[in-house]
Amino acid sequence: MAPSQAAYAPSLEKLLKSLKSKSLEASIEDLIFLLKRRQVSGDECANATAHMLLQVVARSKWHDVDQLLSRIQSTGSRLAQAAPHEPVIGNIVRRVLGLIRDEASEDRNADEFMSESVSDLQSLPPSAPSHTRPTGATPVRPALVPTATSLAVSKSMFNLLSAAETADSPMTGASTPISQAQPTSAHALRSEVIDGIEEIMDEISQADDQIAGFADIQVHPGDFILAMLPSPAVERFLLKAAAKRRFTALLASNGSYISAVGEAPYAALRKKLNAAGVNTVNLASNGLLAYMPRANKVIFGAKAVYQSGGLLVDSACCIAARAAQEYSKPVIVLSGVYKFCPFDPSEEVSKVDLGNPMTYVSYGDGPAVDALEVENAVAEYLPPELVDVYLTNLGPQTRDHLGSIISDHYKPEDMGLSLLINEA
Amino acid sequence: MSAKQGGKGAAGGGGKAKKPAKAAEEKREDVLQAVILADSFQDRFRPFTLEKPRCLLPLANIPIIEYTLEFLASNGVQDVFIYCGAHSDDVEKFIKESPRWNHDSPICPFASVDFIRVSDATSIGDFMRDLDKRNVISSDFILVHSDVVANIPLDDALAKHRARREANRDACMTMVLRPTGQGQGPHRAAEARGITPVFVVEPSTGRCLQYEEMHPLQKEHYFKLDPSLFKHPEFEMRSDLIDTGIDICTPDVLALWSESFDYELPRKNFLHGVLKDWELNGKLFYTEILDKGYAARASNLRMYDCISRDVLERWTFPYVPDSNMVHDQSYRRVNEGSCVEDGVVIERQGTVRKSVIGRDSIVGSGTTVSRSVIGRRCKIGKNVRIEDSYIWDDAVIGDNSTVAYSILAASVVVGQGSHIPNGSLISYGVRIGDNVSLPKAQTQRISLLTEHGDSAQTDGSVVGRGGKGAFYRQIIDDEDNSDEDDDRDPAVLQNSLVYSLEGLNLSSSSISTFASHDSFDSDDEGPDAASYYPSDPDQRRSRLSSFASDDSAAAAAAKTDDAFHGDAVHGIVDALRAEDSDDFDGAKLEFMGLRLANNASDSSMRRAIAVAFVRRASELLSPEHGALEPTKAAENAFVSKNGAVKFIKEVGVGGDDVAQQAEFALALQKALHNTKGLEAGRAGVLLAAMLQQLYSLDVLEEEGILAWWGDKRAAETEDMTGIKEKCRVLVEWLENADEEESGEEDEDSD
Repeated sequence: MAPSQAAYAPSLEKLLKSLKSKSLEASIEDLIFLLKRRQVSGDECANATAHMLLQVVARSKWHDVDQLLSRIQSTGSRLAQAAPHEPVIGNIVRRVLGLIRDEASEDRNADEFMSESVSDLQSLPPSAPSHTRPTGATPVRPALVPTATSLAVSKSMFNLLSAAETADSPMTGASTPISQAQPTSAHALRSEVIDGIEEIMDEISQADDQIAGFADIQVHPGDFILAMLPSPAVERFLLKAAAKRRFTALLASNGSYISAVGEAPYAALRKKLNAAGVNTVNLASNGLLAYMPRANKVIFGAKAVYQSGGLLVDSACCIAARAAQEYSKPVIVLSGVYKFCPFDPSEEVSKVDLGNPMTYVSYGDGPAVDALEVENAVAEYLPPELVDVYLTNLGPQTRDHLGSIISDHYKPEDMGLSLLINEA
Repeated sequence: MSAKQGGKGAAGGGGKAKKPAKAAEEKREDVLQAVILADSFQDRFRPFTLEKPRCLLPLANIPIIEYTLEFLASNGVQDVFIYCGAHSDDVEKFIKESPRWNHDSPICPFASVDFIRVSDATSIGDFMRDLDKRNVISSDFILVHSDVVANIPLDDALAKHRARREANRDACMTMVLRPTGQGQGPHRAAEARGITPVFVVEPSTGRCLQYEEMHPLQKEHYFKLDPSLFKHPEFEMRSDLIDTGIDICTPDVLALWSESFDYELPRKNFLHGVLKDWELNGKLFYTEILDKGYAARASNLRMYDCISRDVLERWTFPYVPDSNMVHDQSYRRVNEGSCVEDGVVIERQGTVRKSVIGRDSIVGSGTTVSRSVIGRRCKIGKNVRIEDSYIWDDAVIGDNSTVAYSILAASVVVGQGSHIPNGSLISYGVRIGDNVSLPKAQTQRISLLTEHGDSAQTDGSVVGRGGKGAFYRQIIDDEDNSDEDDDRDPAVLQNSLVYSLEGLNLSSSSISTFASHDSFDSDDEGPDAASYYPSDPDQRRSRLSSFASDDSAAAAAAKTDDAFHGDAVHGIVDALRAEDSDDFDGAKLEFMGLRLANNASDSSMRRAIAVAFVRRASELLSPEHGALEPTKAAENAFVSKNGAVKFIKEVGVGGDDVAQQAEFALALQKALHNTKGLEAGRAGVLLAAMLQQLYSLDVLEEEGILAWWGDKRAAETEDMTGIKEKCRVLVEWLENADEEESGEEDEDSD
């Protein structure tokens, strides 16, 4: 008997290992249930989504761009639906969709360049919307769907006249019944898109490091940095800062922190910081406000950044931000660009996940279980006016520039993705 | 026990030929296997389980087995074996049609899902022995019931189990248990258990040393510790644990099951038995007591209620409605802690609080729904009040009705202006007419079927005009061994779940009701017994359990008193009845033993003895025992057995003191007063005869009797006075017989 010591419970890691041996559909479904069971959550979601979409591109059957787009859309919205509390999933899906559109139009442009039968009319309409700046203009989203359809109609009309030449036009609406898709271009597109998704995956994995690269600009010697619920990104940031600066880190936890047996919260982080010569102070939730006058900066990680500049954050960050505002302390939010959502939080706020009340009250406590209604909001919405600096992997940003970042990263066609969710 | 080979892999749909694969499977070490027991051989969920197996009943609108399968999937189980008994077709059909669990489906998280049917199984033990024969289990496996709702990660427990097994091959099973908090007050899940499992555990290792089950209706309120326990440096006796029904077993466990053919229940028989024979088999069982995470079994209706509420309050997170674990669900959270699915219409001024409502249901205007679960396509009329209830799919509730703390199965129709009181269980397709108020008295079980599964004659007086359905009467005969009625619970407790615990509502008061009724006599309730009857049957949730042994000391004392009383009376009456011997010493010994065990007070002993002799005497008056004259009956009761008189004098009266004698006479009078089927006049005559008999036997002296005569408590009620009056002749005779001494007392007595 040599039983394996591996744990049995499924995880993202195991899923990624088993991707090859499973059918695509099974893998997607596995991920959906990992998300539903919260066995994949938080920062893992982005990575998991990118991996899964990569599988969709690489393994599903598609002959032209439209098929690929619709596959990504349906898979993406299934994933997003499985975890409505994780807006990051939708962001990655949008990024991949945008990537495919870019690659496709590049291809087409190349083709057009080679073939002489160039129809200017054709190239114009699809690229037109991508030039419009949707920044801050929320009504763009609903308006776009009709644009796409009218586009398709107009294109199919052109197709009536210019039959075969448009076959390679990947931006057509699905209505054109062209079967002689070009295998070479599809093949090329596949590898290009896969490369693109890998780039996104790299971006996700490097975002924390890149953010940490700005640490020595943000942290000054002698600072008192209050880190609220230090996330991995914040930890990396602090450690990076510790390498160059002497400062004091105040590590604040809310009451729910459950650590390994007998360990103080964030013990590992504290050890590392102390080794680097940084003093640390642990704050329980009550101590937070008392230390606020002493702190120079408040730092925490975001789960998502909305178009308006509002944030989805771990619960308890909000109170820290409000306290910081009272004392006029700057609030710095660490967030990779992939967490920027191209929409406003109106409907999302109500989707904030309610977790298990066991975090705060033990189920063994009979009278409490009977008497209390415990609502454990695991995340909360932080209004934009409480945030001073958005520290992204592209550098520190202010609220005014979020719009341009978002428009750089997402195609207006894909901003309405959340509306498509129910079509899956 | 010849086991029929069952339809494999969802009626052969597996595509994988299982038989040849078996040999290979035995070598697959790192595959986690699980066995689901999809039949519990109980009828606690009747009448609902007449038509559907328990595991398919909806809990928060999801069949219970979904939770179990999801739990297994979340722990990385690969092979699942489902053992079916009753309704096996339904279970198979469910799995086969499920897009997720049918193992042909590409998205099934399990590598295989096999059904095993054992046609002649009558208990879980038969399943386990069958499993042993099949040789499909290759290594550690998880044994669960099909009604488990859990969100705990088992990895730790599995790793510990594995480590123990490697260290000692005899460590063969780990039971996952959950504490309900010691000394923190009663816990609703602990109350709902019905039976209190007592695990004797070695705290340092978690090894289980002894297992017992306690329940409020048992004769002895104690159990014996195995003397060998004291060889262990320390052990804990834990009655606060909830048995999650999740066991991590090695294949050795199956061999143990096979060794004894009479084991039926996994805990009461198997665990208890194997632990008891530890010296012989050397097997070690361990407990894994998890204080994080949720796990429970919907093992009875009260647990069903408790778990449903836990789901609503998100203790089972992530298995909550708005996670939409089941494929076609689309719940989202709305205000006030409710979850509704798409297509739900809540009309204006309809209020929904802390509830779950399934797709396409309509809640009328002015209606209030709180802490309830409503299935799909239900139509709730206007101005309806629904509280704490579970309403399954397609039910219709007319305007202005109220439903409180009840279960309404699928397709139930409740007319307008009707009232469904607490604890009602209304089965599939029942139709309640307009303006019907079901009686509140006890659990209402209404079904279209009878206990034998035939269709029942509609009882118009119950369901009203235009109604359909009749009272469902549970089979309570525990000797009846017909296929499903095979419950191994203590028969009395099972009855109690039927009759008094109001199905859902096993509150402390109903428990106490039973404790004082005890076995078969209702005539011995002293006034003090009546005092812990429910004062208000509606204040259900706030009441505490008196059997969880965490109550106030007073209640505990009352409880022991009461138990002592029932047992003692029973013992003495049996001894008096015995016709083949005239020996009373055995009964006396037993009585004294009981008294010591329960630490009974003098007054409760006196009461028990009085009740016992009165019962015997009144029994002799009845025609079937010879219809003796009161005098004869009294004489027979006292003198037929050697030593009985001495026993009364020494124990019952307890001394020569006048006050004690008066007390005993009073106890006799009260006992007679409470004897059923004996009218006051006759009771009085019997009392006079008994007192006279005791006087002539020198047990009571005239001072004692006269003191009783003068006691105010003897004339508290009219009936009591009536009984007392019959003794006037005796008292006057006594006074005349000894005129000089009785002069003063005579004045008092009038």
